Amino acid sequence: MPRSNNASTGQNRPFPTRMKKKLVVLVLVVLLAFLGLSVRLFMITRDNEETYKRQVLSQQSYDSTTLPYKRGDIVDCNGTVLASSEKVYNLVMDAKDLLNHEDDLDYSLQIAEQCFPALVDGDVRSYINSNPSSQYKVWLKQLSYEEITPYLEAQDDAENGSHVHGFWFEEEYKRTYPNNALACDVIGFTTSDGIGQFGLEEYYNDELSGTNGREYGYLNDTSTLERTVVPAVDGNTVVSTIDANIQSVVEKYLKEFSDEHMNEARDGLGANNLGAIVMEVDTGNILAMASYPNFDLNNPTDLSSYYTEEELAAMTSDDSFLDTCNNLWRNFCISDTYEPGSTIKPFTVAAALDAGVITGNETYLCEGVREIGGYEIHCHNRYGDGLITVKQAVETSCNIALTYIAEELQAAGFTEYQHNFNFGLKTNIDLAGEARTDSLVYTAETMGATELATNSFGQSFNVTMIQVIAGFCSLVNGGTYYEPHMVSQILAADGSVVKSIEPKALKQTVSESVSETIIDYCNGVVTEGTGKTARPAGYAIGGKTGTAQTLPRGNGEYIVSFMGYAPADDPQIAIYVVVDRPNVASQADAKYATRIVRSILTEILPYLNIYMTEELSETEIAELEELENTLTSSYQQMLQGDVSGNDPSGTEGDETSGEEGSQDTGAAGEDTGEDDDSSDDATDDLWESIDTEVWKTFEKDPVTGNYIDPVTGHQIDPITGDDLTGTDTGELVSGEEEEAQ
Amino acid sequence: MAQQLRAIRGGKADERQENTLIDYSLIFTVLFLLGFGLVMIYSVSSYEAALQFDDSSYYFKRQLINTIVGLVAMTIVALIPYRLWQRFLVLAYIVSLVLILLVQTSLGITANGATRWLNLGVSLQPAEVAKLGMIVFLAGLINKIGGQIRTPRGFLVALLTPAPIAVCIWKITDNLSSAIIVMAISFIMVFVADPDYKKFLAIAAAVAVFATLYVMYVMHAAENGTLSGFRNQRILAWLNPEAYASGKGFQTLQALYAIGSGGIFGKGLGESIQKLGYVPEAQNDMIFSIICEELGLFGGFAVILLFILLIWRCMIIAQNAPDLFGALLVVGVIAHISVQVILNIAVCTNMIPNTGISLPFISYGGSSVVFLLIEIGLVLSVGRSIYFRDLS
Repeated sequence: MPRSNNASTGQNRPFPTRMKKKLVVLVLVVLLAFLGLSVRLFMITRDNEETYKRQVLSQQSYDSTTLPYKRGDIVDCNGTVLASSEKVYNLVMDAKDLLNHEDDLDYSLQIAEQCFPALVDGDVRSYINSNPSSQYKVWLKQLSYEEITPYLEAQDDAENGSHVHGFWFEEEYKRTYPNNALACDVIGFTTSDGIGQFGLEEYYNDELSGTNGREYGYLNDTSTLERTVVPAVDGNTVVSTIDANIQSVVEKYLKEFSDEHMNEARDGLGANNLGAIVMEVDTGNILAMASYPNFDLNNPTDLSSYYTEEELAAMTSDDSFLDTCNNLWRNFCISDTYEPGSTIKPFTVAAALDAGVITGNETYLCEGVREIGGYEIHCHNRYGDGLITVKQAVETSCNIALTYIAEELQAAGFTEYQHNFNFGLKTNIDLAGEARTDSLVYTAETMGATELATNSFGQSFNVTMIQVIAGFCSLVNGGTYYEPHMVSQILAADGSVVKSIEPKALKQTVSESVSETIIDYCNGVVTEGTGKTARPAGYAIGGKTGTAQTLPRGNGEYIVSFMGYAPADDPQIAIYVVVDRPNVASQADAKYATRIVRSILTEILPYLNIYMTEELSETEIAELEELENTLTSSYQQMLQGDVSGNDPSGTEGDETSGEEGSQDTGAAGEDTGEDDDSSDDATDDLWESIDTEVWKTFEKDPVTGNYIDPVTGHQIDPITGDDLTGTDTGELVSGEEEEAQ
Repeated sequence: MAQQLRAIRGGKADERQENTLIDYSLIFTVLFLLGFGLVMIYSVSSYEAALQFDDSSYYFKRQLINTIVGLVAMTIVALIPYRLWQRFLVLAYIVSLVLILLVQTSLGITANGATRWLNLGVSLQPAEVAKLGMIVFLAGLINKIGGQIRTPRGFLVALLTPAPIAVCIWKITDNLSSAIIVMAISFIMVFVADPDYKKFLAIAAAVAVFATLYVMYVMHAAENGTLSGFRNQRILAWLNPEAYASGKGFQTLQALYAIGSGGIFGKGLGESIQKLGYVPEAQNDMIFSIICEELGLFGGFAVILLFILLIWRCMIIAQNAPDLFGALLVVGVIAHISVQVILNIAVCTNMIPNTGISLPFISYGGSSVVFLLIEIGLVLSVGRSIYFRDLS
């Protein structure tokens, strides 16, 4: 058959033997070449195996990815979220990946641009052109899941999804505060890298922080690369004792006060600082702690509500911006010290009673002024309160009587009790930034007669608000001093309880009977004395006012305050409100504090299920109805206007919806003011019964309504009898104490 | 002759059947190489493919399809009597040339900076077609020249007719390595056909001297800083890969690391570290280095042995081919496979400068595997025409 084929083509030749030989030669040459290659392979392995193995391992990049942890939430006692972290996404571009899929480049960019309008196509393209090997360029930060959903959908699109390249999302957590400014001083905020600043965020940073997880590669014992994931451990949830409802009521009235007195006597807010604390007397739990001015936790560096743009620009240029911020962020209630004034008097009396140096039945003669240690100590009533009992001394806030009582205690006894009441010590409240006051009080050694006298009525030593109210709670709860605290529980991320923080009774400050006596005296302050305007309609409460001069003496600037408790017969909660230099012409009036207390208590006592015990007068009924209407209308407004709905505390009135409400309650406040004025006669009756209001016999200044001292020509406050004009005012003491401050 | 025939009997010869040779050893060797190649392509490329295409079997699937296409083509070619192709010698030459020229038209596909592919519905590399075309053309040409090959004129005609094709491949598709392969195939086929040795040794020596001189020129130029061109850079990187570790020497150096770190038995199939983005084009030209990394020297030697077996079987068929044309076809295939295997492994082991040559049957590449299988089909076709006339 081959032959026939050969014949047909006519070209076929056999494969001659000489060619077969050459073919064998060829194959031998090829075999030789293979042999050479094999030897080369063997040599490479023999000579370099170890080096190259190391080299291969050493150029492995053990790249690892951090898996962020979720910072724990902060919730109030009812579970309302005060601070939480939500997952957000950063848009990262991989230019190299985009260029690797050049055909899809336009489509990928088009999709990205569609989903993220904030991306400017031109910028992205020029970036890709100038950085073709860039693999990590963050274009947009902190996008919510909703914002990135369109892109994820485009990526998962069955038809075109495989043509979408070049962008991915990096996860991180963003701290959010659903109630914005609510309890800002208490909660604090976090830096961008998740470290707590101020308040609970700082104090409980370790609890709130979790541990980042990690996804990483490693070489196992057979030198192969493996990847493993260590999951992130989320932070613990901190359950605060704060009640967001009470907190919002407190903040509402602080803001209302500030707005009401804005730019009244000077430019600026209604007071330099406003502070308020509401506390359970039998546990040390803080129910509310607020100060004003406040700030938005979601944007703590935004000062635009307090300063104009020019002022802010000036601050930025002279570097005072951060100082201003720090002042705003610090918690007035625990970080600022001041002279407490007359609110200290129940402490002095309680100490003397508990030490047994007085019985409570003594009487003291107040002639308006007393010379101690070469200095004249004045009573706020320059004309003397006359012969008064201990109870009356507290009720009328008589300085002179208190100097006598303190003398019985002597410096040693007085400072010992001061120490017992925790003045000069930290309360160890679980908040960051509590001020040290150890150098701001006297010791038995440094305290002379004059200092003892001024200390007895709250002058020449400094306290913090939390010290005063924590001590006061022990005075009215039977004498047990509880450590004030803000947090009741620490919960793990899964909700299990990690730690329960029980009330911590630290010490017995005074005996139970002394406590009862003090309650009696303080009830008298509200029923008979200086604190009448603090009483909410329908309730009996007790407390003590304070009107403290600031330094330098005689500058006409005062810190007025009221600390109280309710109900009067069985104290459950204590409240302390401080108004630091109210923006009014005449600052020395505790009513600026008592009115705030009254407003707050009117709303929160019913909320706390404390029932009315007193009869209501007609004006009071009308007033309560109006308040109810205000609250209801603001609630309705909130329902209509605020659809966010994540703020249950808003039901008790909040900043966002309270504009009209605050105007209304402002009107209500004026009503109460009128009430006070109109009840001057009644007040007169009261004072007449004590028969010490000598100044009332003076001539009245027709312009200011103050009385005029015929001897000095100074103006006298018609209610307190304080000298409003002179540098040499009632409670003036020497410069020595001032230096000691 | 009878002894040889007995020696090449593969399988049982059925007396009643036509006593033709079906070389199962060759078929199984090729199938084994293909299967092994597919496994290695999946192992080597899955990581990059998953990153780039979100599909770890991207390269594997495409190569599988190409392999099946190639096997079908091989079967068809094997069933066609090879003598038929003698009638299409000029056509083979013209088709090779035209396809190369078509690259310059709008049908050309550019990838990785070179226009080497044609879009004819499927992508096609004309250089691969030209290799096959030159084997067929030259086998027919030498067959026609016959004894004239011994004359200088015959010798020059046989050696220089493929040269224009090689030059076109080099200049038009910018593919020097394929051009070299075409010339090497021609050289080897002429070498087998021509009984003389001297002039071949002379040519080999001349090429070696030229290569040496050129390398010396490159080194000299590099010292003077007047060197340009990526091929010259590759020569420098070849001489001292460590000095160009992040540039031209990167691929070579990483391939050496891969081979060296494999040891005797390797890290195990699929356990290569170097394939994770360190050896560029690992599924193409550098696949041998990853084979050595995963399967060690043992695996490398086994692959070489498989190729030796393949060449051995081809040689047996050529020795027993009924005519010169068939024998030269097989010689051409032997030349093609040997040259590519040798050059590929030589590149992986840095014995020659880096140039893009794929490892037959194993490297990823559609045109390459399809046309290689067509060549195997030719060899099988030649084998089928061998008769066991002395048996039965």
